[in-house]
Amino acid sequence: MRRLYLNSANGFLAACLVAALAASCSAQNITVPISAVAGEPASIAITGSGKATLYILGPGISTKQEVNLGEDLKLRGDALRNAGDYHIIACSDSCHSATFYVSAAKPASLTFLVHPSRVPVAQQDAVSGVAFPFDQFHNLVFTPQTINFQLSAGNASLLNRSVNTQAGVAWFRTSSGKSAGALQVVASLNDFNARRVVQQVASDPCNLRITGQRNAQGILVQTEPVHDCSGNPVPDGTIVSFTATAASGKSTVDAPIKKGVARAQMAASGSAVISGASGVVMGNEVRVGGQP
Amino acid sequence: MIRNFPAHSYARISCSLMLVVCFLAAQYSAAADAAPQVQLNAAKAAPRAVEPLTQNSIVRDYRVAWNSMSHALEFNSLDPLNGPFTGEAKTGLWQSVVSQQRSGLGRRYADQTHHLDAVFYAPEGDAIELHDTADYQLQFLDKGKVIHEEHVVAHYVVLMTPSADRWLVRYLQAVPQF
Repeated sequence: MRRLYLNSANGFLAACLVAALAASCSAQNITVPISAVAGEPASIAITGSGKATLYILGPGISTKQEVNLGEDLKLRGDALRNAGDYHIIACSDSCHSATFYVSAAKPASLTFLVHPSRVPVAQQDAVSGVAFPFDQFHNLVFTPQTINFQLSAGNASLLNRSVNTQAGVAWFRTSSGKSAGALQVVASLNDFNARRVVQQVASDPCNLRITGQRNAQGILVQTEPVHDCSGNPVPDGTIVSFTATAASGKSTVDAPIKKGVARAQMAASGSAVISGASGVVMGNEVRVGGQP
Repeated sequence: MIRNFPAHSYARISCSLMLVVCFLAAQYSAAADAAPQVQLNAAKAAPRAVEPLTQNSIVRDYRVAWNSMSHALEFNSLDPLNGPFTGEAKTGLWQSVVSQQRSGLGRRYADQTHHLDAVFYAPEGDAIELHDTADYQLQFLDKGKVIHEEHVVAHYVVLMTPSADRWLVRYLQAVPQF
């Protein structure tokens, strides 16, 4: 009876041992990094004994190799350059998997979009910029970063604002300056700068004044030097329309501004009322008498 | 020599043909249903509101992008990446496909559902950032044979930029959470 009991115990122990061995061969426990950073090496561990096929699939990487179970596997930094999810699959008699996340490294560059490239002066909310911080492997950095936006025209500073990124993006919007010329727009993050230039141009003409006088060919009309409301000369080539209203009817001549002034010769024999306009801006009216 | 078939034989053949047609139609329908389901919530987009037509375009083009990406990663083909992707997204996926071509591995995305939240829409409308909560069945393939399969709920940060006639995925990165 005692012998029978011992035999039963031995059998039970042997069964346990076989079960445990079987479990250790088939059930691989994969340990992956809790936090991995792009470009930095990492290691994974797979429990068990014997050989297995290891698959690594991640952003930009897909490998298959034979490994010895129970040994740590080193992943080189250049295999983990892209941020994202990495899937580890180990297959021997069955397959087991684990996933770990590789986050972006520290910021190393800025992508900076600025609009528009040309803007009239003194326009409300006319200039905007959007900045995205990227690491050296071109992964978007999601941890909050402070980006400094600076706008300057000549020696005048128009804006100096620090903005924290949210979900990997920081932005600003502001009005254009008062004087025509280059507007320097700079986004800075740590030691990295991204520089853009917006060309500020004169706005619509302001206080458009015209004069007219009769000559042998008719009426010579011209503007005074054309400026916008901030005093910037309106660019040459801007069209000014002169309209003459006389008893014989109405005639219109378009003339481009040259050296700050628009000039036109109008054919009108009798007295006429001349008006000038540029875009949506109306100028004054002048009355010119008939031919003497 | 002409053999005369009894009437019930014709009926059997007709029935069989109908079954084949039904089966093929079901297969086609299943394939059509396999297109990614995409929903967009643009209520929290800032600083610019997303116009309804733009929302429609983004949903359409994001669906096309995932369809193309799935095709590229399943069949290790680079061609599908040429339309809907640009910039870093295209480069990264290109690397993935080339790497899979070398290793003989593949990835199959099935039963995709994407819930997009627009979180940033640039003041000039030249970039939009989306948060995608994606739900799909992911199969890993070795020389076409499924070696592992899992149900995945993943989070992606997406940057899309407009081109002449569509929105392109410029950046697509999985993140642990939003």
